[in-house]
Amino acid sequence: MADSNTPKPSSSVKLVLLGEAAVGKSSLVLRFVNNDFQENKEPTIGAAFLTQKCNLPTRTIKFEIWDTAGQERFASLAPMYYRNAQAALVVYDLTKPTSLIKAKHWVAELQRQASPGIVIALVGNKLDLTSDGAGSGGDADGAGAEDSGDARKVTTEEAKTYAEEEGLLFFETSAKTGYNVTEVFTAIANAIPETSLKTARGPGASHTAGRTEEQRVNLNGPRDPNAKEGCAC
Amino acid sequence: MLNFSSFVQKAQQLLDPTQGLNLPESDKNPSKASLFQSQFRLPSSQHPLYEITAELTIPPANVTQGDRDRDRGFQYAGKLHLSEAFLCFSTTPSSFLQSASTSTSSIFTGQTHGGGPSGNGFTFPLCAIRRVERLHSQNFQFALSISTWNGISQDAAKEKDKKDLREQRVTVQLAGSRQACERFCDGLKKGLRANVGNVAKLKKVTAECYSEYLLRPEDKKNATPPDAGLGMLFKYPGDPKKLRDRAKMRLWAEYLRDNGRNMTLIRQPTFHKLIRVGLPNRLRGEMWELTSGSIYLRLENPTLYADTLAKFSGRESLAIDEIEKDLNRSLPEYPGFQSEEGIGRLRRVLTAYSWVNAEVGYCQAMNIVVAALLIYMSEAQAFFLLSALCDRLVPGYYSTTMYGTLLDQKVFESLVEKTMPILWEHLVKSDVQLSVVSLPWFLSLYINSMPLVFAFRVLDVFFVEGPKVLFQVGLAILRINGEELLDASDDGAFISVLKSYFARLDESAHPKSENPKLRAVTKFQELMVVAFKEFSGITHSSITELRLKNKDAVLSNIENFAKRTAIRNLGPDSKLLSNDELGALYDRFYGVLYERQQRDHIIKQEQARRAKNSRSRLAEVASEGDHGIEKGRVGLGPSTSLMDYDAFREFLAGMCKWAISDSPTTPRRETFPEKEKGFYSSFRRPDAALLSPWGAGPEPADHEFLRRLFQKWDTDSSSSLTLQKVVSGLARIKGKRDIMGTITYFFELHDDNGDGKVDREGILRMSEALLFLSRRGLEGTLSPSSSTVTLSATGSASGGQNDVPGQSVSERFLGSVSAFIRRCFEYADPDHPKNQDSAVRELGDKLESTKLQEEPASEQLASPDAFAIGDDDDDDEDDDLLAMDSPAGSPKAPAKKPNNPPPALQLNSTQLSPNDDPDTRRRVSKAQSEKANIALDPSNPLHITLPTFRMVVLADELLEQFFESSFPSSFHIIEGLTSANTPTSASSLTTFSSLGIGIGIGGATSRAVNAATPAAGGRGLRGVLDNIVTDGMRVAAEVRRRMEEAQRELEKNALASGQQQGQQRGGDEEDEDEDEDGAGFTSDRASTRSGKVGRSVRSSDRDLLTGADAEAGDAAVDEAGPAPGGVGEGGRELGGNGGGERSSETGKVVGVEFDG
Ligand SMILES: Nc1nc2c(ncn2[C@@H]2O[C@H](COP(=O)(O)OP(=O)(O)OP(=O)(O)O)[C@@H](O)[C@H]2O)c(=O)[nH]1
Ligand SMILES: [Mg+2]
Repeated sequence: MADSNTPKPSSSVKLVLLGEAAVGKSSLVLRFVNNDFQENKEPTIGAAFLTQKCNLPTRTIKFEIWDTAGQERFASLAPMYYRNAQAALVVYDLTKPTSLIKAKHWVAELQRQASPGIVIALVGNKLDLTSDGAGSGGDADGAGAEDSGDARKVTTEEAKTYAEEEGLLFFETSAKTGYNVTEVFTAIANAIPETSLKTARGPGASHTAGRTEEQRVNLNGPRDPNAKEGCAC
Repeated sequence: MLNFSSFVQKAQQLLDPTQGLNLPESDKNPSKASLFQSQFRLPSSQHPLYEITAELTIPPANVTQGDRDRDRGFQYAGKLHLSEAFLCFSTTPSSFLQSASTSTSSIFTGQTHGGGPSGNGFTFPLCAIRRVERLHSQNFQFALSISTWNGISQDAAKEKDKKDLREQRVTVQLAGSRQACERFCDGLKKGLRANVGNVAKLKKVTAECYSEYLLRPEDKKNATPPDAGLGMLFKYPGDPKKLRDRAKMRLWAEYLRDNGRNMTLIRQPTFHKLIRVGLPNRLRGEMWELTSGSIYLRLENPTLYADTLAKFSGRESLAIDEIEKDLNRSLPEYPGFQSEEGIGRLRRVLTAYSWVNAEVGYCQAMNIVVAALLIYMSEAQAFFLLSALCDRLVPGYYSTTMYGTLLDQKVFESLVEKTMPILWEHLVKSDVQLSVVSLPWFLSLYINSMPLVFAFRVLDVFFVEGPKVLFQVGLAILRINGEELLDASDDGAFISVLKSYFARLDESAHPKSENPKLRAVTKFQELMVVAFKEFSGITHSSITELRLKNKDAVLSNIENFAKRTAIRNLGPDSKLLSNDELGALYDRFYGVLYERQQRDHIIKQEQARRAKNSRSRLAEVASEGDHGIEKGRVGLGPSTSLMDYDAFREFLAGMCKWAISDSPTTPRRETFPEKEKGFYSSFRRPDAALLSPWGAGPEPADHEFLRRLFQKWDTDSSSSLTLQKVVSGLARIKGKRDIMGTITYFFELHDDNGDGKVDREGILRMSEALLFLSRRGLEGTLSPSSSTVTLSATGSASGGQNDVPGQSVSERFLGSVSAFIRRCFEYADPDHPKNQDSAVRELGDKLESTKLQEEPASEQLASPDAFAIGDDDDDDEDDDLLAMDSPAGSPKAPAKKPNNPPPALQLNSTQLSPNDDPDTRRRVSKAQSEKANIALDPSNPLHITLPTFRMVVLADELLEQFFESSFPSSFHIIEGLTSANTPTSASSLTTFSSLGIGIGIGGATSRAVNAATPAAGGRGLRGVLDNIVTDGMRVAAEVRRRMEEAQRELEKNALASGQQQGQQRGGDEEDEDEDEDGAGFTSDRASTRSGKVGRSVRSSDRDLLTGADAEAGDAAVDEAGPAPGGVGEGGRELGGNGGGERSSETGKVVGVEFDG
């Protein structure tokens, strides 16, 4: 373990994934956590919980990832999962315009209902299905190129403009090829204001009840998505 | 004599087999019918018709255990129930008759505690009963011998096979008065006769049961067995050896041989024990459908599944899209679902169900549950079982709001709190939300959480004992892992403890034990023991109770969420309204829809109740009530979110007093219900008020204006409004508080073809609408100036109406409306430009050029603000404009006007006295029409444009205020109508009184009305504007009548001559015109002479105005609004006060326009 000899401050961050059904939320998480991809990922029922560490030069972030179900009727369960979340990944499918609309709804919901200062990243997934995704996909094995047509239905500009207006991080990814997936999580890790980080909760950390709202408020410190720190996760 | 006591099953548990849902709060005791259906898992078509205490004797051949009394067989005391198509026996001493108190009906005993086929006994479809004989013996005073069609689907034609088909025969000894027994037997006889026809269905259904195949003699087993699921093709999950599948199958075969199979199965204690140890693979599907009762659904309609698929073949739906997304993602680890065969079955079952239950459609998790079912049963079996799940076993789990899921999570949490307080405290302290782990357990019935083999064991018990099993297992999981969970301090740790537990369910629960027997106990076995022993106190009734307790909180949570989301997603128009307004609109919208559904339901129920008076029907009606009672509630997944026209009227009547009917056809309540508070309040037994089509609220009016409003809001012409459309519609009226916007809106409302013109008819409709809207008084901020306002006040001819102090705003508004009509016609454009006098046009040109000179800045010119309404608050400029316009416009009109009797006073009391012969009257009016002004001449089409309309409106102070404030604020979105701001009696309506002239509601009825309004002609203006009860639209109606008459005339005379006559207006006929033209909205001298000038002025202005539409003097008007007498005074000039100078004093440009 690279970080075993240099104990860095470690803190956990609750991250929630939201987005229309089958846009690839679970696949993104699976890629991030296990560097794996499954063609037939079961729909998420309720929500799935996974964790993954993200090593930044100065600190370690332990993501507690809540991957939620995407079907519309599960929406009423969502507050249960984004409660206290410090970061959110709102995912849409680059080949499905309706999924961006849904994503916007989620962003609005989060901005109103979630913890103030929540870091939100807008992620357009399935880049491998688009013409520009075929090239950029790191280990694209040609499977995506079988119908070399461009299935992209949402332009980068449209989503990017929206993301800028709303102050969101923005990425286009492919869970299938792995393109940009780690980058999303690293950017989020960097964007979480230092002040809002709580120390990792060990087994003896009985102060976890201190995971209160106050710690999440006043997260309005300047976010700098450009401050790239390496993420060795 | 009767040996009941020795066999009576010990009453152990309280039980209440209702779901605790869909029950009105006022009536927490579910109907007997639904209790009955739940206990025996019968379709909702079944009702308890007869019941009688009885003792069941199973003859020795059927006895599987006990052997206590070889001669008498095995005996059970209990109750025999008869429904339309079933004969049921249960050892649970429950009663479902109407007369029985609920306390009796809610006390059950038996293995299942009421959640399912209860206790020992049977549930025979009547069609499965072959024969019933009455036995006569000394012992049995009244005993029936029942033989069944056990094994009917087997071909037992040959005599030698008959012996293989074991005849099943039981004896039931009735205990009761002779009469009671006979009544029961009569009912049974009838039922048997009625169900003879269903034997074919029975054959078809049982033929698909694996038990039939299982029980065949060996030599006949070469036939293909019935479909027992994908497992037959792809193997069943788990190791059959480990599962001891063979041994189980043997035991079951024996049990079924002795106790009957599928439809004719008799439940004895062994039955429940065999289920607890796990069903054998091939019988699993059949036992699931038997214990869940879904087999009875299949019996009712054996072809429903195939028929549904055929009927909707090729059709598409949202549900199908959603299903398609998940087909490849359903138990992908099972080989059957990596094949087209399995995927195809899954697709068909989910699709068929989404069609028969469109309200639920498809919910993720259903794919997983159905996939699991399909491993053990045929498609049709899975289809009906899914139905039973959604309707009864896990009600509301898969609904669009998933309220059932959320509710059961709350119930589960409170059970944890109660049974494991330390763990609960720990969860709370560590901020771990239990439902994030437990929700998937319930939603997918543990199928996704545990290894499949164990999940199926849970299902085995779940189907027979009901939803409480889910809770018992969940509690047991937490209890068993309690120690470790207490160490887990966050969600992650919590979840991983449970994950690893599920992964080790097949391991020994006591690996270190010395005792090999104990070592052999697996964790799963331990789980089952803990679940059903330690948590045996969790019964159906305790679940039901907790559900009831938590239901409201859960539903209102969902509703708040739905509301929040809906409001957020209403689109840009919604930004024009405040959040409170949106919230109130949301509540009103869904409140009306909900109430209407309730009312509909109750009315139907009441009708049925009245129509059918028999006891059985009553029962039916009552049970329907329970199922539908909260239909439409948002939290339950509203069954509609569309508002039709009637609902729209009711919706408006809840917040606009003008939308309330004046002449309710149903008695109206004088009190207004507090609709704002909890519109989901319970609907009790039919209350007289609820039976009226409008419930407890006021009956809404039905007026053309409402219809137009509806159509306007219904932007896609789908004849229904969504909340979004309602919000958009209201936002345009109420949103900006912008008089120009409101005026435009009102104009567009009457511009049928959207060409920017409103014709003669339209003008009349507009005025009718104005009267309609004002008849209950005006609201909003109205200028207090009363001495010199409105047209009616211009009645100088009748002796200074201005000075009448008591005249109300509403009354004055009537005058404004009549002036409105007159002005509209006065300033209307002819449809054929050639009719326009060229001289007039010249004048117009001149005017324009003047303006150009005066306002050299082209920017100014282009800006409508500079002209139309007066530029903002710049008085100087206004003066300039006035100065500029006056020379052109003022000389003629003001001079004429004083001679022009006020229109409102042009009531002809002499000519049209009630004593007049109607014919004479008509002749007079006809003659006048012929000579009359161009405005009423149908051969001379005309229209007004938006700028004209605006001008006319702004010319009148009251009209202006109406559009600026009164109309928008007449929508009481938030506060609604209270008795304080709503007149409840029709007598407070402000309308035109019977004017003494022959005005009626319409041309056709005018004469009748005339006759009925004597003496009014003698009254002064006060009388004219008197309040009348019935109709406020008479003025417009009168005009219309005349138009119709004129039209009729025209049809008689040549069209050309009509035109000529129209052009001959003027001269000595003027007076007659004035007299005849009733309330004075027809053109008069002023219009003939100055009207043209006015028109030309206006048409020159129009271009400016038109270009200006959007911003046109919004600000200016905003400024102008509060200034008393401003715009209105300008308008008044038209009425004939000749106040050109006054106009300039007030500096209102609009006034200037009229001066022209
Ligand atoms: N081509 C391509 N397919 C993807 C990608 N990500 C996911 N998928 C596929 O899309 C489908 C849905 O993926 P999931 O990760 O289950 O989607 P989800 O958003 O978690 O869906 P729900 O849990 O139902 O809300 C799966 O069949 C994935 O294989 C991607 O980047 N490219
Ligand atoms: Mg998922």
